Amino acid sequence: MDGRVSLRQVAMRFGDFTAIQPTSLEIESGEFFSFLGPSGCGKTTLLNMISGFLTPSEGSVTIGGTDMTRVPVNRRPTAMIFQNLALFPLMSVYQNIEFGLEVRGIDRQARRRRADELLELVALAGSGDKPVADLSGGQKQRIAIARALAVEPRVLLLDEPLSALDLKLRQHMRTELKAIQRKTGITFIYITHDQGEALTMSDRVAVMSEGRIRQVADPMTLYRQPKTDFVANFVGENNRFPGRVVSREAGMVTLDVGLPAPLAGHSTDPLEPGDEATLYVRPEQWRVGPADDRRLPLSGVIRTEHFEGAWLTLEIALEHGPTIRAHVPHAAAGKSLEGQFAVGSVCRLDYSPNQAVVLAGAEAGQPSEEAIDVAATA
Amino acid sequence: MWQQLRNRFGVPLTMAIVALLGIWLIVMVLLPQWQMIDYSFHPSLLPAERGGEKDVWSLTNYATFFNNDIHLAIFFKTIWSSVLVTLLTLIVSYPLAYYLAKVATPGQAALCLLLLIIPFWINEILRTFAWYIIFAFRGPLNELLFALGLIDRPIRFLNGDIGVLVGMVYAYILFMVFPLYNAIESLDSNQIRAARDLGAGWGRTHRRIVIPHAKPGIATGCIMTFMLAAGSYAVPALLGSPGSRWFTQIIYNWFFEGGDWNQGAAYAFLLLVLCIVFVTVIMRIFKVGLGDIAK
Repeated sequence: MDGRVSLRQVAMRFGDFTAIQPTSLEIESGEFFSFLGPSGCGKTTLLNMISGFLTPSEGSVTIGGTDMTRVPVNRRPTAMIFQNLALFPLMSVYQNIEFGLEVRGIDRQARRRRADELLELVALAGSGDKPVADLSGGQKQRIAIARALAVEPRVLLLDEPLSALDLKLRQHMRTELKAIQRKTGITFIYITHDQGEALTMSDRVAVMSEGRIRQVADPMTLYRQPKTDFVANFVGENNRFPGRVVSREAGMVTLDVGLPAPLAGHSTDPLEPGDEATLYVRPEQWRVGPADDRRLPLSGVIRTEHFEGAWLTLEIALEHGPTIRAHVPHAAAGKSLEGQFAVGSVCRLDYSPNQAVVLAGAEAGQPSEEAIDVAATA
Repeated sequence: MWQQLRNRFGVPLTMAIVALLGIWLIVMVLLPQWQMIDYSFHPSLLPAERGGEKDVWSLTNYATFFNNDIHLAIFFKTIWSSVLVTLLTLIVSYPLAYYLAKVATPGQAALCLLLLIIPFWINEILRTFAWYIIFAFRGPLNELLFALGLIDRPIRFLNGDIGVLVGMVYAYILFMVFPLYNAIESLDSNQIRAARDLGAGWGRTHRRIVIPHAKPGIATGCIMTFMLAAGSYAVPALLGSPGSRWFTQIIYNWFFEGGDWNQGAAYAFLLLVLCIVFVTVIMRIFKVGLGDIAK
């Protein structure tokens, strides 16, 4: 079963508004692929073009090697799981799952057999005769999956299906979705604004903003090697240090960011001394030590301290510089009792330049809730 | 309920509300109906004879109806034609209601509703007269069909049932469109999308998803349209002919031309019973309760 999806220069315009800029993308057969982005970034529009609810203004959509651009939604080899699940409330669980098979003219016995198999797959065997209204949130979720899988789609499209569930169930369903995907080998295309979902489940993630794909990569690369300011800020947390390039040596770039000493990070962008660039240091990359630890080059004052369970979040105002956020492991945080990480006390800190990323440009990309723009707080 | 009302409005206001409701029910609804039923079981008498020995309960008025083949035929024809009007109105209204509820943009829907409602600012008689003019032997419709070459001689639309059917569908369409619109509007559009996505064509999507959801609205619309059609007087009087008489016209004749109110009351009561039976049957068929319809 060929579940490749190719988008070639697809664009979507609604009047003057361009929801999707011309975009090309190849999704492999059997891949768990996610579109990650804030609301309004165009990810749902893209999904609707793959499912057939929207016809692109330009470009083509190919599924399994066949051009689907003008094929109506009911004739595409895709199935969708809706954000609100959209189970048919007047039908039983069986009738819901069998709906797509009934449409295809499959006889009653074969339908029932297939429905039972699917109920088995989603661990709800024996609940076929229940009315949909009697199911819990998690059970409804599984029935929606079973209903979509019943039609044996080449591509399963998931539109933020977990957003209505509570945290525990959501985490559990992530594991389960991934397991179902492995078992069935169907291409999963997943839409979410929740980076946790995208990073834990996906083989590859496309980060989107303002109708454009900003980066396509596997979750690890996305986190470690962001290619744009937007991705660096949207995926995980980051401390931004905009500045100018002082020197470059192999992959390592040193930046003057307004601190007493220049800071270094590695970069794949073609940067020359004098160019504007930004250094990104993730909160967990900071090493925070006591005020008398001279091996740590930077110094600052702790402004706030939040207990987060596994770690402490500190906001530290750097000497002659901006305020940064740092995550300190819980084991080290134990010392806060002795006043080392107490609010108002001085600390010293360092990071590993090998893990820090430098990107060209000092302009802030589209800010997101997670982004902490240290330039603004400075 | 008394408790609820009292807590909300206080004792004097609650008493006033209940009293008004009671007066309305008794004076406006129950007494006239009772009077009608009472009339229908008495013979028609001169004022001097009322209360005399001839003034007895009898079924004569009903016997008159069941012994008159023409009246029986008109009665059943009225039922059949009203059912036909109801079905036609449903067929015309459903696509319109679906378009308004699920396809049109808010602006288009508002414009459409306005265009639907404006004609209803005009009196029903006048609107029906408009159809009378359109359907006339030398009227615009015949002219148009003739000009298009579809007919070679004018059709007498006002001769039979066509005029009455069209006039009624037009007169009562809003009473069907609005309940349908309300019902379809409340359907989650993702249900339609899900059905489409699972491979269903438009026919199946409507049959399995939209219509089952809209059932209470369909029932309400059908009941209203049927009652209005069965009780209609102006449309058959204007657009019909002696050959397409409506049962209401017979009732009218008994009251105002025959001068026999007792006989007319019996006929009117029969029409009332018919409507109640129809409502009950429709509610059974659609498996809806009174509560669903009141919505």
